[in-house]
Amino acid sequence: MNYILLQINSDPIGIKHFEQRTIIESSFWFLFSIIEFFIILLILFKLFKKNQNLEFSLLDKDSLRKSQGTNIDMNNLMANINNSSDLYKKLSRVCHPDRFVNSPMEKIAEEIFQEISRNKRNYEKLGMLKTRAINELNINFE
Amino acid sequence: MWYKIIEIIDWFGEMTERHKLIRDFNSAAKNSFINGHAATLLEAKITWGESDYRHTFSKFLGGGFRIKALSGKSMPKSELIEVGKIVLDNEALVRKLISLGWDTLEVHDSRGVNGCKWALKEYANIRGFLN
Repeated sequence: MNYILLQINSDPIGIKHFEQRTIIESSFWFLFSIIEFFIILLILFKLFKKNQNLEFSLLDKDSLRKSQGTNIDMNNLMANINNSSDLYKKLSRVCHPDRFVNSPMEKIAEEIFQEISRNKRNYEKLGMLKTRAINELNINFE
Repeated sequence: MWYKIIEIIDWFGEMTERHKLIRDFNSAAKNSFINGHAATLLEAKITWGESDYRHTFSKFLGGGFRIKALSGKSMPKSELIEVGKIVLDNEALVRKLISLGWDTLEVHDSRGVNGCKWALKEYANIRGFLN
């Protein structure tokens, strides 16, 4: 009998707790859905926004795809980053036209020096210019 | 409808190409460091980029191409600038970076948060795109 009475007494409290819990849970999910909605709106806005005023808006997709497919030689880039400045300094010092004043090689030295200055960050080209300097200006790099 | 599907496929293709470029750069940098050609180990990664440098193809929250010195010799500012200029001198690479949605080139040292930034659009030859 006592047990039944306790049951009757405790039921309304249990219902109250359940109601409170459902209210908190539903408000949490409501807030979550609102945030989600705004995130979706932001993504849609970013997707469909026309970038007409920005740079390169006149370029078509084909030319873009062509650039995307270009193969870049990363080893050459690394060689440019690591070795080009040292080789440039060495070549510009050794092949400077002032070292060939009043000699038949003066014009060639000038030409090579201009090429060196133009390709100061291209290790491959500098290497080719080095061989040209060895052959045409008789420079010994040892 | 088909147009949208093609756009989605393109988007995935672009993302793959972006990550391939980063992977290629990192493996080349790692190889040159291991072989002793490079004094500093470099690493490329994708960052948010600078909002002022945005262009039409800029990727949302992924417009920065950062080259960071990871270990080895510390790099002074002049060397950071030199690395940036070498990348910017490579016209094909700059065009590829732009077409894959990058707008900012960042070069950072291993210490601190300071580095150098360049707007890629200023170094892209638009005729190169068109030809």
